[in-house]
Amino acid sequence: MSNALVIDTSTNRTLVGIVSGGALLFEAHHDDPLGHGEALPKLVQQALANNAQIDSVIVGMGPGPFTGLRVGISFAQSFAFARGIPWVGVCGLDAIASEISVPEFFVAIDARRKEVFFARYVAGVRSTEPGVAQPSQLIKIAIPIFGEATGEFPSALGLAKTAESGLTYRAPVYVRRPDAYPPPTGVKFRPMFQPDLVPAFALEKSIYKSDAWTMAQFKEEFAAKDRTYLVAEFGGALIAYAGAVNLAGTCDVLTLSVAEEHRKKGIGREMLRRLIDWARTQKCEAIMLEVRVGNEEAMPLYESFGFIEISRRANYYGPGKTAIVMRKELQ
Amino acid sequence: MINSQAVVLGIETSCDETAVGIVRGRNLLANVISSSVDEHARFGGVVPEIASRAHLEAMPGVIAQALVDAKLKISDIDAFAVTAGPGLIGALLVGTSSASGLALALGKPLYGVNHLSAHIAVDTLESDQKLQPTIALLVSGGHSSILQVNDLTNDVVTLGSTIDDAAGEAFDKIARILELSFPGGPAIDKAAQSGNPTAIDFPRGLSLNKDLAAHKYDFSFSGLKTSVARYLQASPKFIRADVAASFQEAVVDVLLTKAISAATETGIDRLVIAGGVAANSRLRELAEQRAAKAGIALRIPPMALCTDNGAMVAALGALAVQGGISPSGLGFGANSSSGIDRPIF
Ligand SMILES: [Zn+2]
Repeated sequence: MSNALVIDTSTNRTLVGIVSGGALLFEAHHDDPLGHGEALPKLVQQALANNAQIDSVIVGMGPGPFTGLRVGISFAQSFAFARGIPWVGVCGLDAIASEISVPEFFVAIDARRKEVFFARYVAGVRSTEPGVAQPSQLIKIAIPIFGEATGEFPSALGLAKTAESGLTYRAPVYVRRPDAYPPPTGVKFRPMFQPDLVPAFALEKSIYKSDAWTMAQFKEEFAAKDRTYLVAEFGGALIAYAGAVNLAGTCDVLTLSVAEEHRKKGIGREMLRRLIDWARTQKCEAIMLEVRVGNEEAMPLYESFGFIEISRRANYYGPGKTAIVMRKELQ
Repeated sequence: MINSQAVVLGIETSCDETAVGIVRGRNLLANVISSSVDEHARFGGVVPEIASRAHLEAMPGVIAQALVDAKLKISDIDAFAVTAGPGLIGALLVGTSSASGLALALGKPLYGVNHLSAHIAVDTLESDQKLQPTIALLVSGGHSSILQVNDLTNDVVTLGSTIDDAAGEAFDKIARILELSFPGGPAIDKAAQSGNPTAIDFPRGLSLNKDLAAHKYDFSFSGLKTSVARYLQASPKFIRADVAASFQEAVVDVLLTKAISAATETGIDRLVIAGGVAANSRLRELAEQRAAKAGIALRIPPMALCTDNGAMVAALGALAVQGGISPSGLGFGANSSSGIDRPIF
């Protein structure tokens, strides 16, 4: 009989098994969303203790949270190379689906950031490419959802069965693009200086109208201690400014304002990145910011940097205007 | 296994270089590097997710090429070593997982090693001199430290380090404001060739008497960065080459002043300079002058071994084997912020 070493790290679970001709010789797992790197070698060592002969490796190629996912794939590739045996990559969602027998369903696993990686199955066959969505989007479609939330994980037998089906992968199934955007071209970022106060104030008024800071507040804020201010220039004009303060070890974003016509070009992203860099050099333990309810279009940007909502402050921006307080740990 | 001729394969993935080196004892057999630096250039800095993806894609080919260069089969390897920290966690895990896969498949020992110690260990390759104890100046995009190395595998003391940016980071940031390319080190080195290093008197961080009391061997580059930015703002007709040369001079001067005084004051008259910034031509030139004047034996590894590479990891692994140190065992994972007090995991 030919023994396959089966590995999956595409969910919060690290799974290792040995399957031989459809029979399970060994299976063990460890549940820890950040523990794949530590758990995998130990589980494989246990697996090999009674089954030293391995003829192939089967590994889950995702989708799944990237850092954990790559642990399994990197290990599997190297193990197969060192033993001079083949390796086969399969989709972990397919492996879960292979053990479910309802006519139509979704498989969904945690993708972090309040999203799930998912695929749809009809009569046991995948009918969509794996994708990423918010759970609420899937719930709207009235078919059952299986996955981590219902206690279903890829199993060694499921992964082996999927490998036999022939739908295999040589590269990770990433779905999401890397969390990186080049800085906008032609835009210059630099620290804010005194002469910038006039154009910055004009921009402030055009964006915030009657809620804008006054020039006096502006000057006072700019001159105060433990603060950093930066601006973005395009074609010689000031098009954005941002500032943050280090309040006893916690950084607070004071403002992050981009001219209307220059939004959605990655300018806010680059400025926020620089404020976070500054907070790190200040050895701040966290960075916080406030978002106005109704301005949720900025939320995905903040979430992509790892900010999470921690509270809401009623009437923060004036009567009836609630602020969502978000925080990102820097340690 | 105490074997002075053990063949060790080392894997390095802490930042943007996927690198594998193979050594036999102190002899370098292979040193293969695949860099994703071009993919990061448009961002002006290393993007962790892009680096991690590139490591996974490059790893099988880099391992295979290293074995070809060394004229060995994977089964000829006696022990494996891998950078376990510090570095980018997602990037490190690709390396440690690959190394554990190799080691477990072959039943060979595995050493998780500290990246900083490895930078210094590379100096032991192709040398039969007594190299320890030594003072080490470790300068790169991720680190700027002065270390007292009593024994590379188990006794390294940090005398000082940067309190804000690493020296290499300062080069990257100044290159960005001077609109030079990424990475900033080589770009500034080149721009400075035609500049006057004494044109502008930029500050030397933590060099005043009041700072020296608490930060004798520490560095700070954030004030220098601000000072350059202010200078550019105030001098619209600045000469780029002069700014680059004067900035570089300020960094190199403070690095060497503190490193040489560490060597003199500890009575350890050896200094090794390692890390990516050791490739800077002005640093090398000035280091030679000042070390000679102070009567200190200076060593700087060849350029190719100064930037991140696999040979340095293999070299430290080989020292661990030679020192009879027990392997790291399984499940050491990766530690993004591991300190140098733990050279071998
Ligand atoms: Zn390094």
